[in-house]
Amino acid sequence: MFTKKRIIQFCFAALLFLSLDLWMFNTLSANFRTYEELRNFNEIALFAQTAPEEETAQAYEQWIPTVKSIIAGARAYYFTFDESQGLFVPSSGSETNLKLWNENKNSPEFKKAMESVYYLEPMKLSGSYKADFSLDPDIHSNEAIASQAYFVPVIDANGYQANGAIMILVPNSTATGYVNLLRTLFIAAAVIFLGIMLVISFTRDPMTGFMVLTLFGIVLVFIAYPLLEAIRLSFIKDGVFSLQTWKETLSPTYLVALWGSLRLGVLTATISTIVGFMFAFLIERTSFKHKRVMSILATMPVISPPFSLSLSIILLFGNNGLISKQLLHLNTSIYGLAGLTLVEVIGMFPIAFMTISGVLRQIDSTVEDASLDLSATRWQTFKAITLPLSAPGIVSAWLLVFTNSLADFANPLLLSGDYRVLSTEAYMLVTGRSNLGAGSALSFLLLMPTLTAFLIQRQWVAKKSYVTVTGKPSTNLTELTSKPVRLTLETISWAFIGFIVALYLTIVAGCFVVNWGIDYSFTLANWGEALSRGWTSIRDTVTLAAIATPTAGLLAMLTAMLIVRKKFPGKRILETLIMTPYAIPGTLIGISYILAFNKPPLLLVGTGAIIVINYVIRELPVGVENGITALHQIDPAIEESAADLGADVPTVFRTIVLPLVRPAFLSSMSYTFVRSMTAVSAIIFLISARWNHLTVLIFNFSENLRFGLASVLSTILIFIVLFVWALMQVLVKDDKLTQKTISTR
Amino acid sequence: MMEKKSVSVTLEQVTKKFKNVKGKSDVIAVNEANLVIAPGELVTLLGPSGCGKTTTLRMIAGFELPSTGKIFIGNEEVTMMPPNKRDTATMFQSYGLFPHMTVFDNVAYGLKLRKVPAEQIKERVNETLAMVGLADYGDRAPSKLSGGQQQRVALARSLIVTPSVLLLDEPLSNLDALLREQMRVEIRKIQKDLGITAVYVTHDRVEAMSLSDRVVVMKDGHIRQIGPPSEIYERPNSRFVAGFVGKATFFPVLVKAKDEEKWVCELGGKEAMVSQAGDNVVVGEEAVLMARPESLRLVEPGSGHIEGKVRMNVYLGNSLESFIHTSFGEVLVQIDDPHAKKVYPEGSAVSIDFAPDRVRLLNKDEK
Repeated sequence: MFTKKRIIQFCFAALLFLSLDLWMFNTLSANFRTYEELRNFNEIALFAQTAPEEETAQAYEQWIPTVKSIIAGARAYYFTFDESQGLFVPSSGSETNLKLWNENKNSPEFKKAMESVYYLEPMKLSGSYKADFSLDPDIHSNEAIASQAYFVPVIDANGYQANGAIMILVPNSTATGYVNLLRTLFIAAAVIFLGIMLVISFTRDPMTGFMVLTLFGIVLVFIAYPLLEAIRLSFIKDGVFSLQTWKETLSPTYLVALWGSLRLGVLTATISTIVGFMFAFLIERTSFKHKRVMSILATMPVISPPFSLSLSIILLFGNNGLISKQLLHLNTSIYGLAGLTLVEVIGMFPIAFMTISGVLRQIDSTVEDASLDLSATRWQTFKAITLPLSAPGIVSAWLLVFTNSLADFANPLLLSGDYRVLSTEAYMLVTGRSNLGAGSALSFLLLMPTLTAFLIQRQWVAKKSYVTVTGKPSTNLTELTSKPVRLTLETISWAFIGFIVALYLTIVAGCFVVNWGIDYSFTLANWGEALSRGWTSIRDTVTLAAIATPTAGLLAMLTAMLIVRKKFPGKRILETLIMTPYAIPGTLIGISYILAFNKPPLLLVGTGAIIVINYVIRELPVGVENGITALHQIDPAIEESAADLGADVPTVFRTIVLPLVRPAFLSSMSYTFVRSMTAVSAIIFLISARWNHLTVLIFNFSENLRFGLASVLSTILIFIVLFVWALMQVLVKDDKLTQKTISTR
Repeated sequence: MMEKKSVSVTLEQVTKKFKNVKGKSDVIAVNEANLVIAPGELVTLLGPSGCGKTTTLRMIAGFELPSTGKIFIGNEEVTMMPPNKRDTATMFQSYGLFPHMTVFDNVAYGLKLRKVPAEQIKERVNETLAMVGLADYGDRAPSKLSGGQQQRVALARSLIVTPSVLLLDEPLSNLDALLREQMRVEIRKIQKDLGITAVYVTHDRVEAMSLSDRVVVMKDGHIRQIGPPSEIYERPNSRFVAGFVGKATFFPVLVKAKDEEKWVCELGGKEAMVSQAGDNVVVGEEAVLMARPESLRLVEPGSGHIEGKVRMNVYLGNSLESFIHTSFGEVLVQIDDPHAKKVYPEGSAVSIDFAPDRVRLLNKDEK
């Protein structure tokens, strides 16, 4: 592979391209600089002509600073010509210039400049000088930066003699901004070209090489770069390195919010795990009749938009709530820890339910039989066998819910009241006080516990599974509960589900009420207004999600194939980076995206593209995981056969891999769609006047107490999501050949 | 079937190292293998599991890259060429049928990639399916077929693209004994008819013996011996090859002298003559005397080379296996056509005898 000939060829081509690249960059930037200088010269010449006619010090003091309106960020200093000495002496102007002048006035360059001015010739010094602009700060420049120095004569009315001279400093930054952009582009061109060259020269399968390269590009630009930018900016205050932001972040004000987040997380995780375990146990381990209905209803909250439950809780228990005010005449407030915990438990217990179900399902009933056979009671068996065996699932569920609760943003935004959590504090800092640095620092504070929980879940619990299938698994299910116990469990579960259904029905009811809390008479007016004000948002939201869905699905499956089937350097790094967004709170991603993409060369803030990219990047981990699991169950010989018969990598992917991982492909697409439709945390930072998101609109309506409109939009959103989700479920099942054979082998 | 010119396959100093993940030393799967396969020849790679035979096959197919060395198909070097560019077709142990396609689509896959017109595809697929005896099975899903039928689909799928080289990776190991025998004959017939160069990987010595023009015996990544089946069986040049391709007893001997035709050695205190020897047998050093069960004879006590006692007789119909307890341990003697010969009853004292040209001296090292 690395033969001498190829290496020489590569080096030659690389050298050729690099020199060409460098040459073009130099020419272009030199051209640009020359142009810039010329323009500055002209501007300065114009400025010199505006010199006041009356030669009083006061007139000059007023005139000198007007240079800023001609060249942004420039400083000027006026020297009068002292005829007795035959010299220019400092008169008035910017301190910055004076300091530089005093430092350098005896240098040959400066002397030459003064001489030139004496002969009425303007001159620009060839070098660039470090000038201390903080002596005379303004919005354009307030630190010590390299700058260009111009000297121009102020000619008397006759045009024969220099009355005085002006020294003008133009900071490089304004001139070099463009050159920097140019440099970035040329470096990018060189990197891309070298990457392509490298792949063509040294891989025998360039197609795979390009895919890997592209994937690395995507991951570095859209995951690594924004996060690094967020870290960098949290250490910078007013343009210089500073720990100020972090000092503020770690102050008691925000530690209270951290404590609030943790308390809420622990409460939510614990209660959700208990409720989830109850549901999982009832469905997987008892002879309960309505398993299917129950498990569908119990997963509903996962696919409904995050605001909807909060909205419904406010409608029922809020300050003007139906139950709290109208029925019970209570004065307690739902806003705060209790209400938040309630909403989060309802929204997140399905995560616990699904995780624990997966583990319970795999416990072989024979071990429980064996315990009962050894004359343990059912309760003893449950305590000694079933519970310990499902422990990894329980811990896993707890950690997952904990992570989700900490990252939750939508519910606290509506329901937290005086209770403070980190995710919303970060949002307030960014939107209320446009303090992006502090916002990102707060989000990083939030990242510590979430990342810890995520890593524990990943590295330790997931591997510490007790489920080992030995021998022939029994298909019988041993009833571990006595009838009264089971009936109690059933009743509690139904009551819980009933409450959830009631919450959803409340939203539907909210659509048809004139003014919730005050006037409960029937109306259809909400629909008209909601549709007319929300129509563009609905269209935008669906459009963006519809673009993101297939993109994320295809990218996920392609990535999974590369990770599972191909060997390439840096695979571990790529895998880790792709999985990163899964552990990161949406707030942090949103903030890091505005920090990274609000400037050239990647000016994306305000476009629809940034929203789509954000969807794709955030939902990629789940899709890739699904794809990897699916691919591991497929015999590699199937793909090798196809390659052997003449199919190249894209063909193998299209004709073999994609059809075989179809269930994973479709389910990751439906996941992406649902999540994109109901996203809040990152999206709220990225929406713009051009691209709005339905959930944000719902939030705005709820915040302004327009509950009717919020209800209508929530209902519409729930129905769109449900429809697409159901459609995908049908598509997964409609599969004649692969249904059973996929995992045979 | 289109006629195609047969090509040769050449391996030149091919080595394959696998990087060991946990920082241990690399595993050498194939070590400096040299092999020339003639056009139209069927060569079997035979060896215990982990000997590098499958890795060798996968390198010829292009699924693995050699760490060093070169591979040629015909006169063209293909060492770095990806699998889809090589004119080879592989039959996998697990068949690798596409589960989401019908039998017809499976077989047609290679032709579709080659942009053959639909009419022609239909014709050729039906023709090929008929050849492997699956004419009416085109519409079925692969999962609805029996193991033998799936295997035929895989064969048809490989053959329809008229590859220059057919590579078979233990294709019969998932079939039952009877079907295996049938398929073995069928594969050989088709391969001979089409004149395809074939490489067949197996760990089953009977399969290797009955199928191949030549057998390559491998162990621990090394090629130990290459030769026609008869040579491998009758004239193995190492103790490993002798033991792997058939039953054999190894008696420790001291090589004393060698004249023009015969080696003289000391076997249990007596002198014995042996007329052939493998590599690395040196006069004055210890060696082993390799004897196949059918090369040994039982004679009256005292008149043969080794004394012993019959421990057990196992009657097999066309032959009888006699387990003789000797000072060298238990020795198996096979008596063909036992009705015509004298059978010593269990417990009786006997002597084991052999003719000098039916046994072979080998280096005593297992390797």
